[in-house]
Amino acid sequence: MKVAVVVQRYGADINGGAELHARYIAEHLARHTEVEVLTTCARDYVTWRNELPAGVEKIGGVTVRRFPVARARDVHDFGRRSTAVFTRTHSLSDELAWLESEGPTSHALVKHVASAADAYDWFVFFSYRYYHAFHGVRAAASRAVLVPTAERDAAIGLAIFPPIFRGVRALMFNSFEERAMIQHVAGAGDLPGVVVGVGSDIPARPEPDRFRQQSGITGPFAIYVGRIDENKGCKELFEYFRRYARTMPGGLQLVLVGTAILPVPADPRIRHLGFLSDTEKFDAMAAADVLIMPSYYESLSMVALEAWGMGKPVLANGRCDVLKGQCLRSNAGLYYESYAEFADALYSIASSASLSQGLGRNGRAYFERHYAWPVIERKYLDVFSQLSARGASAAPAVEPLPGFFARRARTVPAAEDVLGRVPAGAVRP
Amino acid sequence: MAEFNVRADEVNVEQIMHQIRARIREKRGVDYTEEQIQELAKIKLEKFLDPRGLRSDLLEQFQRAAAKDLPPTYEFDDQTLIRSGNPLVAFIRRLLQPVLKLFFSPNPLVQALHYQTQINRYLLERAARDVLVYEVMHNLVVEMTRTGIEVKNMTMRVESIAGRLDFNERRARALEAVVQYKPEGREEHGAPRGGRGFAAEGQGGRGFAAEGASRGDQAGRASGAEGQGGAPSPRGDQGPSAVDPVTGGESLRSRRRRRRRGRRSGPGFTGEGRETRDEGRGTGEGRRTGDEGPGENELEHRSRGDDQEHRPAEANGQREASAERASQADTPTEAPASEPDQS
Repeated sequence: MKVAVVVQRYGADINGGAELHARYIAEHLARHTEVEVLTTCARDYVTWRNELPAGVEKIGGVTVRRFPVARARDVHDFGRRSTAVFTRTHSLSDELAWLESEGPTSHALVKHVASAADAYDWFVFFSYRYYHAFHGVRAAASRAVLVPTAERDAAIGLAIFPPIFRGVRALMFNSFEERAMIQHVAGAGDLPGVVVGVGSDIPARPEPDRFRQQSGITGPFAIYVGRIDENKGCKELFEYFRRYARTMPGGLQLVLVGTAILPVPADPRIRHLGFLSDTEKFDAMAAADVLIMPSYYESLSMVALEAWGMGKPVLANGRCDVLKGQCLRSNAGLYYESYAEFADALYSIASSASLSQGLGRNGRAYFERHYAWPVIERKYLDVFSQLSARGASAAPAVEPLPGFFARRARTVPAAEDVLGRVPAGAVRP
Repeated sequence: MAEFNVRADEVNVEQIMHQIRARIREKRGVDYTEEQIQELAKIKLEKFLDPRGLRSDLLEQFQRAAAKDLPPTYEFDDQTLIRSGNPLVAFIRRLLQPVLKLFFSPNPLVQALHYQTQINRYLLERAARDVLVYEVMHNLVVEMTRTGIEVKNMTMRVESIAGRLDFNERRARALEAVVQYKPEGREEHGAPRGGRGFAAEGQGGRGFAAEGASRGDQAGRASGAEGQGGAPSPRGDQGPSAVDPVTGGESLRSRRRRRRRGRRSGPGFTGEGRETRDEGRGTGEGRRTGDEGPGENELEHRSRGDDQEHRPAEANGQREASAERASQADTPTEAPASEPDQS
């Protein structure tokens, strides 16, 4: 069996959520079957400039085939088109133009998928919202498996995507909330697919003391790992934590790991360590008392799963359905929707060893039950074998795009309105 | 905040969150999420915009205005009618313009359309401003709602604190009433024992060093004499601290000390003998007197408030002595704490 993993960016140093997810899946599937990665030459997800050479290379034992991007993204054009399709009544043609504008517009990649479709048994497309996934699925629908990595943002309300969700052979969801959302948007109650997620290579013996020695951090601390960005809820985290620190002198510190896009406030209780290697990151998480996950939009928080895998409790933003659902299903994390809840929940975890340990133990069990690599690998391989057993005849066809005039009819509702009608909330265990 | 004691298999996040929310509600009265505040704000905005039912759909109008596309405008000037992409056509039109004017006067038309473009532009700007006004108004109402909730919570908190203060005052009065009973006891046992007690204290522990000092040289000398096992000094009896500056009778401390001694004197253990023995070991007496401190301090800090809870007993003793000193005009008000020890 030969599997192609199709993703917008790929590289050992590319750490975006979906891209890292794709790399982990490719490397782990490569232990069981032949895997090839089809990707672009882009490194930067904002501009999609061609920065890496086109051609074939090996990364982590996996063959990677890169294709050039036809043009870099015009940020202003993309912003204008996004406003048009997200907030106003528009046409399908507008949405297709939006998709082109979003990128990464790699015609060569799509052409390769179409022409070499028979050379692969399965294509695993990552991130439904990008050009490569939309056109790639249409080019090889009978062999397409989609990992949507969908968040609750306006893009999910665009009218061009439901046929894609309905047209692929299987969907590999990251969470139950994501599945519920996509099923609602696609208007299909029972899409073929399974909730999988992704595992993580957590070291067996992380060294928290080494981290404390290197960083000079003493005392208990909460940790945030990820891009320090307003979109990730960091602004609210800073505001809440500083209020908390004022009321709880001598308590937890907040340690931030990741690249800062948002300025980190100068506060003696907040330490920013910048980007750390995986080893350092795991050491830091092992030394932490709790992981805080303030993001509003997540399709799956790998960091939260890693924290649970290491037996650490998580304090998550309850306004993110996925995080809240994971906390409820795992019984391994608390969540907050206001400052008062943030302060009380954080204090509860920090002050009660029994609660903290209980949450941590539950987290570890949840991780091992659902997100250990053997479990993830088995789910993927089972899906492939089931689809193979059904044969290509069972493949649903992707609905063709409407004709010239229908495509230009301005009758498509604003994506935000569509999103507003999608039921929200965590899926209860 | 409450502690959680749980075993791993018992952790129920939903239940814990329920407890946390209940605790917050209890503490703050009402707890609103951001969504609830927004919801409240929306309701208020409707009421705010429609106080007398003048325009019940005004809010919708605002929202529609914010959402709908603004129509495009156009430019219209005196050259618009004859302008063309083709220079030849434009030239011919300009050439024939006088002929056109023979049929009708285009100038008022051009002028009117030009004004119309200006009106259009003004209306578009106003429409854009309306969106901003709506935003501002909406934000104001959100903030008003938030502030209203805060005010409600603060009012509840103030009421709670006022209730506690009232209770504490009543408790303090009740405690004062308890310790000022038996007014006839003053004549019977008042001054002599009180004087002895303070003389011994003056020599004793640091806790009452200031008291010793407050009594000045007289007390100092008295304590010196008693510390050597001497008889009670008559001067000591006249010590100002033995007299309550407010009631004119013996001080609260003297009475309490006397009551305690009275309780201790049992069969075969006369008050006089005990007193002599106590006075003989002046330091011991001081320590014992110091031990009395917490009882008094407890009484004091209950009525004074929590901020004094952690002050040492001797500090309270000194404060009390200072108050007594201040009430005694004929005694020195300042003396080093170590003075009795030096004597």
